Amino acid sequence: MNRLALSKIPRYAAVMAVTLAAVTPFYALILIALKNPEGGLGAIRMVPDFYLLNFITAWEKSRMGRAFANSLVITAGAVFLVVFLAGMAGYSIGRVRSRLNRVIFMIFLLCMMIPGIINTVPLYTLLIRLKGINTYWAMIAVLGVNALPFSVFLYSGFIRAMGGALEEAALIDGCSYFDSYWRITLPLLKPVTASVVILQGLGMWNNYAQAVFFLQKGSMRTIPLAISLFFKQYGADWPVMAAAAILGLIPPVAAFLLFQKFFIQGITTGAVKG
Amino acid sequence: MHINTANWHKYMALPAFLLFSLFFLFPLFRGLQLSFTAWDGFSTPEFIGLRNFIQFFSDKRALGDMKTTLLFALGSAPLLNLCGLSLALLLNSGFRGRHLVRSLVYLPAVISPMIMGSVWYLLLQPQRGIFYLWLERVSVEPGNWMLHHGSALILIILVNVWQYAGMTMIIYLAGLQAIPEEQYEAAALEGSGRWKVFRYITLPWLFPSIRINVITNIIGSLSVFEIILALTDGGPGYATESLSIYIMRMCYGNKTGYSTAVAIILFFIIMVPVLITLRGLNRMGESYE
Repeated sequence: MNRLALSKIPRYAAVMAVTLAAVTPFYALILIALKNPEGGLGAIRMVPDFYLLNFITAWEKSRMGRAFANSLVITAGAVFLVVFLAGMAGYSIGRVRSRLNRVIFMIFLLCMMIPGIINTVPLYTLLIRLKGINTYWAMIAVLGVNALPFSVFLYSGFIRAMGGALEEAALIDGCSYFDSYWRITLPLLKPVTASVVILQGLGMWNNYAQAVFFLQKGSMRTIPLAISLFFKQYGADWPVMAAAAILGLIPPVAAFLLFQKFFIQGITTGAVKG
Repeated sequence: MHINTANWHKYMALPAFLLFSLFFLFPLFRGLQLSFTAWDGFSTPEFIGLRNFIQFFSDKRALGDMKTTLLFALGSAPLLNLCGLSLALLLNSGFRGRHLVRSLVYLPAVISPMIMGSVWYLLLQPQRGIFYLWLERVSVEPGNWMLHHGSALILIILVNVWQYAGMTMIIYLAGLQAIPEEQYEAAALEGSGRWKVFRYITLPWLFPSIRINVITNIIGSLSVFEIILALTDGGPGYATESLSIYIMRMCYGNKTGYSTAVAIILFFIIMVPVLITLRGLNRMGESYE
């Protein structure tokens, strides 16, 4: 082995260690989830038992089907709301330098730094009065609104950088700015929209801190709620609990594997330009 | 009928802003107002001036939670940045399979912290968790590490860092990849050492990534919620309870007015370090230019 190859050994060792640290917890989780309960709980071997019945038990007992449907409706609704509102707002802020738009943008920027828990309690009392507890619409509105500041920031930055040459062509043809947004600009926003959908959608899908306040009825549970409750109720049956956790983490992991490019794009846009 | 939309584009930010006002700004100010009241969540709120805030500073559980929150942030935020930066530097070099390793490191960050915390709860449980048993097998005796304030808090910090180091890494990686190759070539021609290259090229270029990572990690760690609920449920007793968990429990415990006051205090606990850090970072940024 030559000296160059030797000098790379520490680096490879570090990469191996990092990979191991990232993967081992998932492997251990799979080992537990596939464990045959007959084998006793003490000794868990390195090779799985492949006892798949645990997954069926977990699916049924945690009422995951219902939770999955709830998560889907709420996330889809909130994502649609954000794209609709933030796209329009970003367009106006990116194109019209008025005092109104500057103030609105400033407020969004400041509120990006305020975590949801600060206003969750008064929001909870507001939603009780609006009869929004245990409803889809309220959860959609809350999650959509919480995602607005960052999304408006992404849209307005993108629209400003994009320039308005195509819109101006439409303006000459007699379109208003408002019309040309829907006909011309919106379809060109696909890259940001993809980032917003993926990134904010993921946050909504994973939301627990607001859901635990606003969705209290069993039939309204989303996946994180269902998992946390299942862990409290079936605190003894570990293989089934592990199987439930795996079922719960499959959707975001699958989404990540399918749309990796947009994840990275979404996180890094704006971040690097500062 | 023809609708004249000539001026509509000037007001297209209003729908977003109105909904935001109703479901974000209004509750924010309503919370500020409620923080000066005694309120159980049902009857009419009674104005009591600053009593909630005074009570907070003689409330042993609240002060303990504040300490836990600050300790968690002091451990978690710097460690996340350090790990994220080290990972980015390590995985930025060209070797086969680097994309796969990056994805694996980032993967936990896409999973709900509630679910990830529950998974770690299974792995770390004394006497039963796989990781506990493995450590025991190599004759490290972790003891009942979930039942001691110090060790439980360290575990919570490590789990949080494990989950989100990949997120911090991705932002640092993007910053590293924005550095033009010529900068390094010029430094190589001048024969600059490794440290000099890092200090005078890498660091200044990474500055925007550093700022966003430091700020988001401060905000995120001071409002920590799910990881603790899943791992220790705030226990033993209230030893690992954070302020955001306390806010939720006070709200359900008929002390709604008080819980909004705690939220206002948490707001300042977050904003003060954020603003100080932003100022410090901006000053540092100027010195690079």
